[in-house]
Amino acid sequence: MRLAALACLLAAPALTPAWADVVSVLDAHILPGHARLAAQTEALAEAARADCAPESLLSAYHDARDAWVQIGHIQFGPLEESGLALAMDFWPDPRGTVPKTIARLTVDADIDLTDPDAFAEVSAAAQGFSALEWMLFTPQARAEEACALTRAIAGGLARKAASLEADWPAFADLMTSAGADGNTRFQSELEAQRALYTALSTGLEFLHDQRLGRPLGTFDRPRPRRAEARRSDRSLRHITLSLGALEELAVLMGGGDIPQTRAAFAEAKARAAELDDPALQGVADPAQRFRVEVLQQAVRAVQVAVIEEVGRPLGISAGFNALDGD
Amino acid sequence: MPRSMRDRRAFLGGLAASTLAPSLSWAEIGAPAALSAARAPDGSFHLAGLRRDGTLAFTLPLPARGHAAAAHPHRAEAVHIARRPGTFAMVIDCAAGTIRHRLAAPKGRHFYGHGAFTADGTTLLTTENDIETGAGRIGIWAVAEGYRRVGDLPSGGIGPHEIIRLPTGGFAVANGGIRTHPETGREKLNLGTMRPNLAILDAHGALQEVTDSTPHQSSLRHIAAGPDGAVLCGYQWQGDIFDAPPMLAIWRDGQLTEIDLGPAVHRRMKAYVGSVAWGAQGWSASAPRGGVIVTAGAAHAMPDGCGLAALAGETLVTDGLGQVHALRGAGLERRGTHALAFDNHLVSI
Repeated sequence: MRLAALACLLAAPALTPAWADVVSVLDAHILPGHARLAAQTEALAEAARADCAPESLLSAYHDARDAWVQIGHIQFGPLEESGLALAMDFWPDPRGTVPKTIARLTVDADIDLTDPDAFAEVSAAAQGFSALEWMLFTPQARAEEACALTRAIAGGLARKAASLEADWPAFADLMTSAGADGNTRFQSELEAQRALYTALSTGLEFLHDQRLGRPLGTFDRPRPRRAEARRSDRSLRHITLSLGALEELAVLMGGGDIPQTRAAFAEAKARAAELDDPALQGVADPAQRFRVEVLQQAVRAVQVAVIEEVGRPLGISAGFNALDGD
Repeated sequence: MPRSMRDRRAFLGGLAASTLAPSLSWAEIGAPAALSAARAPDGSFHLAGLRRDGTLAFTLPLPARGHAAAAHPHRAEAVHIARRPGTFAMVIDCAAGTIRHRLAAPKGRHFYGHGAFTADGTTLLTTENDIETGAGRIGIWAVAEGYRRVGDLPSGGIGPHEIIRLPTGGFAVANGGIRTHPETGREKLNLGTMRPNLAILDAHGALQEVTDSTPHQSSLRHIAAGPDGAVLCGYQWQGDIFDAPPMLAIWRDGQLTEIDLGPAVHRRMKAYVGSVAWGAQGWSASAPRGGVIVTAGAAHAMPDGCGLAALAGETLVTDGLGQVHALRGAGLERRGTHALAFDNHLVSI
């Protein structure tokens, strides 16, 4: 009994600051997340070089896309500065730009798909994970071109991920030296913490509004075809993975003292685990749809808890202009 | 001496010192360069006068949430107007930071938050909703008569938001196209049929022409006058944000030219422009939902950044976190931080 109480005391939030710990977020979340993305996309590119047949690339595709979903919410920094976000994954895509761009590329003889520099210049819609999914999960008529494009996309993803991984340490230095002379990017530690908070809140918003909200549509007009990565049955997986990644970020930012946030994440993860609907196609069935709506409400509860427990200590209330502008 | 007396004397001494100010020029007393509405941590609303160096020249309490100001062309005077569907406006002595007059929207009307003075400074124009019909109106107020209401004119559309004076002496009005009714708050009642436009008025406020060649769900809210009669238009897209057309366009002689910022910056803007400004240093636009300030050559991350005021050689930027920055060339420098959430607009005075 005494020991247990002591253990609790040692783990008490007083030991960890209630505000974002920038160094621990970098060391335990952002840097390893980008290292994993670089490693998994390199493995994907290698697999594609060895054999471009879709069936032999599936496991590498899933692993690499998992790594992306677990770090893609870090939109600021090298990703933003290099403008690579859309080229990593072009979704949502309401106009079907990904298939249209791929259709053009596979018949356009002017582009040398074996030249990585040339491929880096094509439309972002043809470069990312959604484009790769299209290549692997829809029948391709022109086998030779499809193989070249699959290799180009896989190689390009590895190249982009490697550049992000290479650029992060210098950006991490800017974050940890916030407020130092000459650091114009982060003029105070609070600015660095707010950048992290924005990534967290924007990631949750994307989960609620896009990953869940797009396929849900409205009760009268559900949109199952808008589910993310539905062709590879990954829609629910993206939700589960991003919940886990955002929880990791929130816990690192909030120190030990975010009980409502932890409880809300646990609830949302439990709701997601109960769904047996990998591509969220049940949104069109009233009985199954209800469970997706409950999951979306659970994500909303996470958003509210995060504002209260992580945002408020940073002096951030819900965006005054962003949420209630005119 | 009782303590309260001593405090009072010190307080009066402070007041006496501040009454020396009117004998000094604006520059010497550090007069405000721009006005912004703001919310204090206790939830109360204020009007803040900001100096160019980012410090606060004054704050004044507001009865409710404010929106934007209109600067008088000659006098050190500005009118601050309530956020829609508010009905109050107040005339501010910008040097002293005091209220000179209070205005109220006529019965059956509410303000949309913006206004503009005629070039001669005799008349104030305000964007208004005729609540029962939903028609956009331009309210006319006679400055010399203590801002007496003297009439109104059509705005040329529904939901007139920002009105600006053009270098020609005429006006441009952003008719957002969205009908609302105070009974249903800020609910949008006509998204399926909305038809926003840019209306040009003559120097007396009479409607001259209307340009409505934008996609029908691109609600035009904010405008800024540029060189050669150009008007920068900032939109708020009412459809799927991943299917949004360009959020900025330049109007010139009845023609709109969309500004293509490239897909990456476009997506960062989240289909919502909060403010636009245009000075000799070029144009800028804020996208508070996306947390980004864009110019012709750069995009700066700025969480909840919205207010923009073009001053000589630089553009001041305010955000909901209480920060003041200055856009200078391609760079952005911090000017100050206050315990205030700056509201949508920063207006140069």
